Amino acid sequence: MLHAEHITCGYGGDPVVRDLSFSAQSGQILCILGANGCGKTTLLRAVAGLLPSTGSVTAAGLDLRTAPRRQVAQTVAFLSQLSNLYFSYTVYQTVEMGRYAHRSPGLFGRAAPGDKDIVRSCLEQTGLWELREQPITALSGGQLQRVFLARVFAQDPKIILLDEPTNHLDLKYQIELMEQLRRWVAQGNRCVVGVLHDVNLALNYADQLLLMQDGRALCQTDTQALDPALLDRVYGLDVRGYMRNALKRWE
Amino acid sequence: MSRFSRPARFGLLCLAALVAVLLGIGVGSVPISPGEILQVLANKLWGAALPEQMNPVIPGLVWSIRLPRVLLAFCVGASLAVSGAVMQSLLQNPLASSYGLGVSSGAGLGAAVLIVTGVADSAAGTFLLPAVCLCCGLATMGGALAISSRLDRNLSNNTIILIGMVLSLFLNAIITTLSSANPDYTQRITLWQLGSLSMKTWKQLGPVALAALVCILAFWRLSSELDLLSFGEEQASAMGMERKRVKWLLALLVALLTGTAVAFVGVIGFVDLVAPHIVRRIFGPSHRMLIPTCAIFGGGFLSLCDLAARTLASPSEIPIGSITALIGAPFFLYIFFSSRKEAR
Repeated sequence: MLHAEHITCGYGGDPVVRDLSFSAQSGQILCILGANGCGKTTLLRAVAGLLPSTGSVTAAGLDLRTAPRRQVAQTVAFLSQLSNLYFSYTVYQTVEMGRYAHRSPGLFGRAAPGDKDIVRSCLEQTGLWELREQPITALSGGQLQRVFLARVFAQDPKIILLDEPTNHLDLKYQIELMEQLRRWVAQGNRCVVGVLHDVNLALNYADQLLLMQDGRALCQTDTQALDPALLDRVYGLDVRGYMRNALKRWE
Repeated sequence: MSRFSRPARFGLLCLAALVAVLLGIGVGSVPISPGEILQVLANKLWGAALPEQMNPVIPGLVWSIRLPRVLLAFCVGASLAVSGAVMQSLLQNPLASSYGLGVSSGAGLGAAVLIVTGVADSAAGTFLLPAVCLCCGLATMGGALAISSRLDRNLSNNTIILIGMVLSLFLNAIITTLSSANPDYTQRITLWQLGSLSMKTWKQLGPVALAALVCILAFWRLSSELDLLSFGEEQASAMGMERKRVKWLLALLVALLTGTAVAFVGVIGFVDLVAPHIVRRIFGPSHRMLIPTCAIFGGGFLSLCDLAARTLASPSEIPIGSITALIGAPFFLYIFFSSRKEAR
């Protein structure tokens, strides 16, 4: 469904991601794992067309690097970690912005007839309908990330890219977010590609894993078939041993 | 304010702006009632007869002096308030102002050069001064954006703010040097920089009103893009907006709007900073509502400030920039602290 081939990109100077290829299949969640600074977020931004890159990225027959942004946004949505908010839009207004890519680019960019129903359905799906008139600046981190998830759903993409969306969220909200994404993927002809810092969360929710080291792909594998030694190599520690110890202490 | 519905709030705002305009025309050495103002307007626009008992000074005073001045104040206030709102969203910085791209400093330098060379006092000065100011303002903004995009391919906000600030400081230093080297003109340059609406006629109103109408309508048309930009460029781009194209277009329109206003009336501060914050508190941040309401609020506010500028120390006049700062600064503090109290 999403094919990235020979991606090389960076921020001027030496490339951060080098000649990296991977693909994501329909109905699956692919998680990108790697140590800090290995180029996970840079790769994701290049795939989303937000950072210039060489190579090719195609999704649903569309070249994401060269297609107009409106068309890209109809195919791929991007959910990042929470950032500063300066203006207090309401929950409804924020989610409604997800429909921008589907509006006609004509003189007044009018909302399509079904937009209101779609926004309502996304708000209900994420349990935000009751909060729709609340200013987003008054929400908790977990509620706010739900608002952005609803906005991503309203964008009605085929692929959702996640850039550490669970940062600053407590365990309950992390699980809630991932469950909602899993339900979304299960609706068919969709996939999620995400960068997650929490290995536990990734192992629990990902169907496939892409391990990265120093800007290159170490391997792409089914989560069930992951060789723990590769994970140890990526993080430079005995990951399974650490998890076993943590569990033992708790028990 | 929240006890009123949004249409009611909009109606109240329009009413307040109308009252401000009527006060601007009516208050002065010769007081003129709203009825008399309407009679003069009906006479000038549709040829209706004037009542015989009307003071013969009033028609000329309304039509040739006070009306163009108040309308100019309204258009300049609307322009500054809207361009301030746009800049704050464009740069995702609540403290950004429409002068941030160096427009006012560029225009100021143009004005200072024309004043010290005596061109401003020549016959062609009346038209040359605004034209040169506008060109200098636009050139400065173009320069700031060109340098920013050269240094930073992504044209990030921090680069734009930094380059705009550096250019402004640099040009202001040249203005100060010019002013000190020509002490005869120091007062004139300083007064120009504080802004003034005195001696303005329909001739100055035309270009300012045209720029205001075109740019404000364009911003209204771009309100969805401005909403997206309020969440950051990357998010706007991820939601389908052509980031660079929209950013250039918005910056050019802001420069044109601010540059035209500055060119004709000088630098008037605070309206662009304060008005968007107050209007956002009353009508919310959505630009479809924010753009028109900012225009009406900014217009009404500057009309009142101009009224204060010309009547408080009558017969002499206080620079309008001082009035906007005197009213704007405490008002801004009040809004800021009351919103913090509410947030708690």
